[in-house]
Amino acid sequence: QNRTITGTVTGKEDGLPIPGVTVKIMGAKGGTLTNQQGKYSLDVSPGIKSLTFSSLGFVSQTQTLPLNNILNVILTGDDQALSEVVITALGIQRKKNELPYAAQEVKGEELTKTRDNNFVNSLSGKVAGLDIKQSNMMGGSTNVVMRGFKSLTGNNQALFVVDGIPVSNANTNTDDQTKGKRGYDYGNAAADINPDDIASINVLKGAAATALYGSRATNGVIMITTKKGKKNSLGITVNSGVTFGKIDRTTFTKYQNEYGAGYVNQYSKKGYDSPDGNFWYLDVFGKGPSLITPFTQDASYGGAFNPDLKVFQWNAFDPTSPTYGKATSWVAAKNDPSSFYKTAVNSSQSITLDGGGDKTTFKFGYLRTDETGVLPNSKIKKNSFNFSGDHEVTSTIKISASANYTNVNGLGRYGTGYDGANPNQQFRQWWQTNVDIKEQEAAFNREKKNITWNWSDETASGAIYSNNPYWSRYKNYETDNRDRYFGNVAMTWKPLEWLDFLGRVTYDGSNELQEDRLAIGGADVSEYARYNRSANEVNFDLMANFNKQITPNLNIRGLVGSNLRRTKVSSIFAKTNGGLGTENLYSLSNSVNAINAPLERYERVAVDGLFANTTIGYKELVFLDASIRRDQSSTLPADHNSYWYPSVAGSFLFSNLMKESTWLSHGKFRINYAEVGNDAPPLSLYDVYKINPVFGGNVLTSITTDKKNPFLRPERTKSIEAGLEMNFLAGRIGFDFSYYRTNSVDQIMAVDVSTTTGFSTRFVNAGTVRNQGIEVSAFVVPIKTTDFSWTLNLNFTRNRNQVIELYEGNNNLQLADYRGGVTLNATVGEPFGTLRSTDFQYINGQKVVNDAGYYAQSAPNQVIADVNPKWAGGIQNNIKYKDLSLSFLIDIKQGGSVFSLDQYYGQATGIYRESAGLNDLGNPQRLPISQGGGVILPGVDKNGNPNTKRVEAYDNDVTPYGYINNPPAGYIYDASFVKLREAALTYALPKKWIGDKALKGVDVSLVGRNLWIIHKNTPYTDPEAGLSSGNLQGYQSGAYPSVRTIGFNFRFKF
Amino acid sequence: CAKNLDDYNVDQKNPDKVTASSLFANALKELTDNITTPDVNINVFRFWVQQWTATTYQDEPRYDMITRSIPIKYWTPMYVEVLHDFKESKRITEADPLLSAKVKANRIAATEIASVYAWSVVVNCWGDVPYTEALGTIGKPKYDKAADIYTDLFKRLDAAITSIDPGADSFGSSDLLYDGNAAAWLKFAHSLKLKLALNIADVNDATARSIILASADKAFTSNADNASFRYLSSTPNNNPVSNSLNSTYTSRKDYVASEAIIKMMNETEDPRRPFFFTSVKGIYIGGEAGLNNTFAAFSQASKKVIAPDFEALLLDYAEVEFILAEAAERWGISGSPADHYNKGITASILYWGGTQAQADTYLALPNVAYATATGNFKQKIGEQKYLALYNRGYDAWTEWRRLDYPVLKKASQATLDMPLRLFYPTSERTLNQENVEKASASMGGDVVTTKLFWDKF
Repeated sequence: QNRTITGTVTGKEDGLPIPGVTVKIMGAKGGTLTNQQGKYSLDVSPGIKSLTFSSLGFVSQTQTLPLNNILNVILTGDDQALSEVVITALGIQRKKNELPYAAQEVKGEELTKTRDNNFVNSLSGKVAGLDIKQSNMMGGSTNVVMRGFKSLTGNNQALFVVDGIPVSNANTNTDDQTKGKRGYDYGNAAADINPDDIASINVLKGAAATALYGSRATNGVIMITTKKGKKNSLGITVNSGVTFGKIDRTTFTKYQNEYGAGYVNQYSKKGYDSPDGNFWYLDVFGKGPSLITPFTQDASYGGAFNPDLKVFQWNAFDPTSPTYGKATSWVAAKNDPSSFYKTAVNSSQSITLDGGGDKTTFKFGYLRTDETGVLPNSKIKKNSFNFSGDHEVTSTIKISASANYTNVNGLGRYGTGYDGANPNQQFRQWWQTNVDIKEQEAAFNREKKNITWNWSDETASGAIYSNNPYWSRYKNYETDNRDRYFGNVAMTWKPLEWLDFLGRVTYDGSNELQEDRLAIGGADVSEYARYNRSANEVNFDLMANFNKQITPNLNIRGLVGSNLRRTKVSSIFAKTNGGLGTENLYSLSNSVNAINAPLERYERVAVDGLFANTTIGYKELVFLDASIRRDQSSTLPADHNSYWYPSVAGSFLFSNLMKESTWLSHGKFRINYAEVGNDAPPLSLYDVYKINPVFGGNVLTSITTDKKNPFLRPERTKSIEAGLEMNFLAGRIGFDFSYYRTNSVDQIMAVDVSTTTGFSTRFVNAGTVRNQGIEVSAFVVPIKTTDFSWTLNLNFTRNRNQVIELYEGNNNLQLADYRGGVTLNATVGEPFGTLRSTDFQYINGQKVVNDAGYYAQSAPNQVIADVNPKWAGGIQNNIKYKDLSLSFLIDIKQGGSVFSLDQYYGQATGIYRESAGLNDLGNPQRLPISQGGGVILPGVDKNGNPNTKRVEAYDNDVTPYGYINNPPAGYIYDASFVKLREAALTYALPKKWIGDKALKGVDVSLVGRNLWIIHKNTPYTDPEAGLSSGNLQGYQSGAYPSVRTIGFNFRFKF
Repeated sequence: CAKNLDDYNVDQKNPDKVTASSLFANALKELTDNITTPDVNINVFRFWVQQWTATTYQDEPRYDMITRSIPIKYWTPMYVEVLHDFKESKRITEADPLLSAKVKANRIAATEIASVYAWSVVVNCWGDVPYTEALGTIGKPKYDKAADIYTDLFKRLDAAITSIDPGADSFGSSDLLYDGNAAAWLKFAHSLKLKLALNIADVNDATARSIILASADKAFTSNADNASFRYLSSTPNNNPVSNSLNSTYTSRKDYVASEAIIKMMNETEDPRRPFFFTSVKGIYIGGEAGLNNTFAAFSQASKKVIAPDFEALLLDYAEVEFILAEAAERWGISGSPADHYNKGITASILYWGGTQAQADTYLALPNVAYATATGNFKQKIGEQKYLALYNRGYDAWTEWRRLDYPVLKKASQATLDMPLRLFYPTSERTLNQENVEKASASMGGDVVTTKLFWDKF
C-alpha cells in the first residue's frame, strides 16, 4: 500500500515557501519538486523511511516520514560561502561546491560600500587573479586584466556580462591618447553599470569556466547578476552619499625654492644679457634695459632668489594686474602648483524599488551621480535607469525583460599625456618656481584671458609653450555625452520537470559624442574637433537545458544552444582646419580654412556560435563537465571561417568521503583543460588605399601602411587549471588555491615589419604567449561571538608571463614608442610588456661614470624594465560589533616598473628638490665647481674605482640630472605599493531609534577610498598612475596625483 | 548567417581602387614634405649645416639624433609613403589598357625620375640600403651597396629619358611639379643626372665625366625650369617650414639664424640677406650653435621663407650651374668655371628676389669673384653653393660632405661629431637584423663618422 506524503517547504529566514525543492525518496527511485507555493505531493512505497529535501542555496535535509503523512520542512539557508549558488556562464546556476573551475564571488555590498562611481575600481584587491589598475582621473578608465596579458596586440580586458548581456570594457580613447600624446580618458564602458543595481559578481577566471561564451571570453568573465524583485513583496532602498576628494601630497611634485626661471645663469658659459647674467635685459616700459624673467625658458635653473632684487616678472606684463609695469621681488612662489588642485565632490543618490505579486516580480532603479574633479572646471553627471521584471505566463512559461539606460555627461575631463591639455606637463616637467599659481588664477579671473607665465617674448604677445593653466582648463575643454542602452527580452519554457528552453535577445548600444576645443589665444592653433561614434551589439541566444536524475546517485545535466552575435561600429571624426575664425564658437563651420574630409569608420562583425555542455554528477562526489563550441566568424576568410574548441573539467569533493571528520568541513579538488578560439579584428583581410586631403583640386591617395592578410586563421588559447578548496573548523578558516597555465598561440596581430617593405605593419598569425600562475583566496574568522566578529579575507595572485615566440624568428615586437626614448615591447623569452631603452653601464653592480663625469650609457634598445607586477594581494578586514561594522582593505602590489617622463624632463629643468641644495662639500651645488659647487655622481670610473670627477650641477642646459646626460633607465621606478585602499565604518541604527514601522533599517556610513599609501618607491607620484586602460602600461607622463576621498553615505530601507 | 557575410570584410569607407595620378601626386608631396620640413623630430639638417640654430632645446644642433628617433622618422616616409606609392602608381599605369602608349610612357618616365630622386636621397643619407628587394613581398630585404644602387639609378634615368615624348601629355594637374609638362621632366631628368654624377666624381671620375658631358646641355637653363613644389596657403598643403616657424601655426620660437651663415653673408653684405633672414634693428646676427639663444636677439628666417605658400625646391637652375662650374674645373668640359659660377650665383640672387645689379656688385667683390675668392675650387664653389642651398638642409649637408666647405665649427657643448650619415633606424635592428648588421659591417660600422662611398675626402 503506497502512502501519499504531502507538505510545504519553507525557508527558515523569511518563512516564505520555496519552489523547486528537489524531494528525493531515500533508498528507491523517484522524487518530485515543490510547486510555486512550496508544496509537494509524493507517492512512496511501503518500506520507505525517509525523504531528502535539497535546493540550491539551502542545506539539504533528510527527514523521517511521519505517521500522519504530512511532512513540512523548514530549510536553512546555506550561508557558507563555499556552498552558495553561483551564476556561471550563460546564466547557469550551480552550487559553488560542485564547480570544476575557479570562480570567486563578490557581493554587491562590497562594491558599493565606499561609493566609487566606477564599481570596477571596487574590485581591486578583492579577487585573486584579477589585476585592477585604476585611474587617478575623474571618470578615467580602469584596466581589468585576468591572469595576465594573453593577446600581444588585441584586447586583454575581461568581458563583463550583465544578466546575460555581454558588455565590453573597451574604452574609446584614441590611439594617441594611449601612447601618451594628446587625448582624454573617456573611461571604460563597464562603468556605465549602476553599482547599486548589482546583487553579486561572480568572477569566472579560466577558459574552462568561460568557454561557452566563445571567442571573447578568453580574458575571463565578470558575471554580474543584478538585483531582482521578490514575489509578494515591496522593498524600497534609498542611498544618499557624498564624498570629498583631495590630492595626496606625497604623489605630487616637491619643488626646490632656491632658484627661479631660466635655463642659464651667471655661472653658465653664456649667461643672459643682464649684468648679473641671470635675466633678460631689455628695454621695457620705457625704463631702459631692465631685468626681465626669461619667460620662454620653462625651467628653474636661473638666478638665485633674492627678495632685494626687483625683476619684471610675468605679471608686470598683465595690464589688468596691480603689478603691471612694476618690477617685483625675486622670490619663490608662495603657492606652488599643488594649490591648483581643488576638492573633488561626488554626490551619489539612488533609489531602488523592488517587489512583485504572485506571478510577477519587478525592480526599478535610478542612480544619479554628480562628480566634480580635483581640476578646475571638471564635472561628470551620470543618470542611470534600470528596469527588470519577469512574469509567469503559465506554470511552464516565464518571460522576463530588462532595460537599462545610462547617460554620462562629461565636461573638462583631464587631459592626459604630453600635451598642453594636461596641466602636469607644466607642473611636473616645465615650470618656473617663481610663478605663484594663485596669481595665475587671479590673472585669469580678471579678464578670462591667457595671461601666462610663459610669454613668448618681452612684449608678452602670447604663450610660447604653456598657457595659463586656468585659461587652459576653462577655455580648452572637452565635453562628451554618452547614451547607453542595454537590455534583454527572454522567454523560458519548461515543458518537463527536467527540461527547459530559453530564447533571448540582448542588445547593447551606445551613442557617443566627444568634442574637443582649443580656444583662440593659446599656444596651439585654435581648433574644434568632434567625434561621433555609435556602436551596437545584438545577441540572439537559443538554449535547451536539461537536468535529469538518472539514478539517485547519478545526475546528468547540460545544454545545447546557439548564439548569433552581430556588432556594428560606425564613427566619424571631423575637425576645423587652420584655426577658428570667431572666438568662443565651436562648430566646424567656424574653420579658417576649408575643413579636410572627416574620417569615417564602419565595421561590422558577425559571429555564429553553436555549443553544447554536459555535467555528470555522481553522488555529490564527482562532477565531470565537458563542453564544445563552434564559432563561425565573418572576420575570417569565408572558406576558413569556422573553428571548434572544447573544454573538459572535473571536480572531486573528497570531504564527502570523510563526513565524520570534525576538522574538515569542505574539501574539493578540481582540474580542467580548455581551448578557446578567436577571430580576427574586422577589416583585416583585404588591402585598401587611403584618401589623403585633396591638394588644390588634385586627389591624393596612398597605399595604407598596414598590409592585410586574406589567409588569416583563427587564433587559439589553451589553458589548464587545477585547484584545491578546503574549509576547516566549521567554516572558520578556508582557502581556495588555483594553479593555471595558458598558452595563447597563433595570434592574429599586426606586427611591425621593416618599413623597407613599403608597409609598417603586416597582419599575421604568429606568436605564443604563456601565462602561468597561482591564486589563493582565503578567509579566517578569528573571532565570532554573538556581538562581535572579525573576518579576514585574503587574496594573493602571482602571474608569470612569457613571450614564447613571435613572428618569423623576430625576437621583438614593439607595442608602443613612448616619448623619452622608451619603447614598450614583447620580447621572446621576456614577459609581455618590457621597457627598452638605453641603460647605464655597470661594473660589479655600480654605475660607471665616464671621463666627462656623467654616467656612461649602454648601447640602445636594452631591456631595462618589466612592467608586470611580481605578485599582488589584498587583505580585507570586516569587524562587526553589534550594529557597528568596520571594514578596510589593504591592497598590495609587489614589483612591476614604470618609466617617469615627469622625472626624465623635470629633473633636467631644475624644478625638483634634488637639483638644488648643498653638495658633499656643504656648498650650494649649483655654484660653479670653481666656487666649490658641482656634484660627484655616485658610481665608479671605467676602472671600477670610486668616481671622483666633479661636474657642474648646471651649465647651459647641461646637467647631471634628467634626460640630457642620463639614459632613460635612470627614470625607471619600482611601482610596488601598499595602500589602505578603502575603509568604511557603518552603523545600522537600532530599530527603536527609527520609530517608523515602514522603515526597516537605516545605515549610516563613513567611507574613504585611497586613504593612505603606506609604502611606495615612486618619487612624487602614485605608482598606479598611468595613461588609460589597455595593453600599453608602465609609463607616466604628466601623472595625476592620487585622490583621497572621504565621505558619508546613508541607506534607508523600506 | 555569418558564413555568407563576406561583404563584412569589405571596407565601406576606403577605396580598393585608385588612380595612378592620385598616388603619383601624393608621393611627390610626401617626398617634398620630408626633405623640406624643419621639424626637429624628422629633419634637422639645417641645424647641422648651421644655417639655423635652436633657441632653447639644443639636442639637435648638438647632433643628437637618438633622443627623437630621427632616423626612423626620415626613413619610413621615404619607403612607405614616397617610394611605395611611386611604385604602385607605376604598376597601375602599366596595367592601364586605355592609356595611349605615349602618355603611358611619359607617366612611367615621370614616376621613374621622381623615384630615382627619392632613392638618391635615401642612399645619400644612409649609404647601403634595401633596394632590389625593397617594396616587394620579401619581409626582410637585403641591403644593396650604395654604389650599385647609383649605377642602377643612372640606368633608370637613361631609360626614362629615352622613353619621354616631350610633345605628349603626362599626368596633367596631378603632376604637382610640372603640371604634366613632359619636356620639363626631360630637363629635370638630365639635371638630376648631373647632380648624381657629380656626387660620384671623386670615386668614379670617368663615369661622372661622361654622364655630365652627355647631359650638360639638356639640363635646366633658367629658374623657370626649377623643380619646384608650389605649396598652397592653407593647411595641410602649406609649406612645412611654416608649420614650425610661422606664428599662424605655432607659438614656438625654436629657430634663429646661425652665426656661421650670417658671418659669411655679413662679410659680403650678401644681397640675399633680407630674403633669407630678418634683422635685429637693421643688423643681421646669428646665434651660436649649441648654446641658448634669445629669440628676439637674433635674426630669424625671413617672412618669405616662413610663408605658408612658399615653394620648395627639389633641384634648381643655380645648382645646375654650380655643377657645370665644377665639371669645367674637373674635366675642362662645358665652358669656363667662372662663367658657370657667376651664373649660379646670379640665378640664386635673382631667385630669392635680388636684382641683376645686386648680383653684379656681389660678383665683383674680391672674396666672391671666382678668380680672387679664397681657396681651391671646392672651397669657392662649396661656399657659394652652400649659400645658394639655403633652406635646403639635406642638399646643403650633402654638398658639405662632398666638398668639405664651408668649414663649420663644431657646435658648442656637443659631445658628438658632425654626422656624415644617419644611423640606421633602430627598428631595422629588430626587424631586419641580419641584413642591417651585414650592411653596417661592410660599410665600416653604423656610426655617423662612416663616410659614404662617394665621400672620399
